[in-house]
Amino acid sequence: MRVAFVGKGGSGKSAIAGTFARALARRGEPVLTIDSDPMPGLAFSLGLEVVEDAVLDDAVVERQEGEEGPRFRLRPGLTVAEAIEQYAAVGPDGVRFLQFGKLRGHVASLFRSQLAFREITHGLPPNGRWNVVGDLPGGTRQPFAGWGDYAHTFIIVVEPSAKSLLAARRLAKLASGDRGPKVVGVANKVSDAGDTDLVRERSGLEVIASIPWDEALAEAERNAKAPIDYAPESPAVRAVELLVARLIEEG
Amino acid sequence: MKLAVVGKGGSGKTTTAAVIARTLARRGMSVVALDCDTNPNLGISLGVGDEETERLIAMRQALDEGQEEHTPTWDQLVDRFGSDAPDGVRLAVVTRIENPEPG
Repeated sequence: MRVAFVGKGGSGKSAIAGTFARALARRGEPVLTIDSDPMPGLAFSLGLEVVEDAVLDDAVVERQEGEEGPRFRLRPGLTVAEAIEQYAAVGPDGVRFLQFGKLRGHVASLFRSQLAFREITHGLPPNGRWNVVGDLPGGTRQPFAGWGDYAHTFIIVVEPSAKSLLAARRLAKLASGDRGPKVVGVANKVSDAGDTDLVRERSGLEVIASIPWDEALAEAERNAKAPIDYAPESPAVRAVELLVARLIEEG
Repeated sequence: MKLAVVGKGGSGKTTTAAVIARTLARRGMSVVALDCDTNPNLGISLGVGDEETERLIAMRQALDEGQEEHTPTWDQLVDRFGSDAPDGVRLAVVTRIENPEPG
């Protein structure tokens, strides 16, 4: 499966994506996780030591004068599969992790790494071996600029709050357009059934999971620990495991 | 004074900015609140409501799509792309969203 988590900033995308990826990997599936946030946080939620550098710089070469095509492309001889093997960090449960780079100073310093990253995510073979779990930055800009186009399903993480719902309604429009990926909602930080109903009604989305407000998760975040390591029995982690099971069943 | 509120997603920027704007206005200052977020929802925290917030976003998008003309001056911008919030705060959505760079 290939999913990308989107939603308003702070809605819980990274915590859910990291837990989702680990739970999927524990079922024996090969999992590639992708963090395209210039202020990345997925590594924490996966339980990886923080990946320090934008390592992708040397994966691309710049177009020479007179050549056609995009300004940067993968180094000749380097396939997408090899690039993943070489550049994606190895995390717990065998999860692989590709990070687009950390913002240091001006955004232009990330340019080369970003384009290498995009070459890899856009070049993923349609029926390749990897399950893909992506974590996009909060808001609408990256999703609508095609940075999550590797995903077959966009999962919008929605808190029961007016601002989160507003972002969700805008993100729901990802379903329109030519490629028309599947777009579903996950209600997060839910206190009661009324919250889930609120998310369903006010986002207009099919809500496929309801993740409870869980102090253990907040504590994991405080301590920079992966929720699945810190609180494996917690209700929120259990709910994410159910979400994984549901998506596997649906194929 | 001119303030900009920044921080990570979900940290409470919008809520903080809105409370500052309303508080200054209640002290008698004239306040313009600028929403520069690519996901603009300052209107909700200022108290103009869902519908008006979405109307401002739609208008900002219409500008990108060439259905609205840009304004020549700052005052006109705040006038055309703005809305009146409680306590006399004037809200304007001035997001720069035509830049396809991520982040």
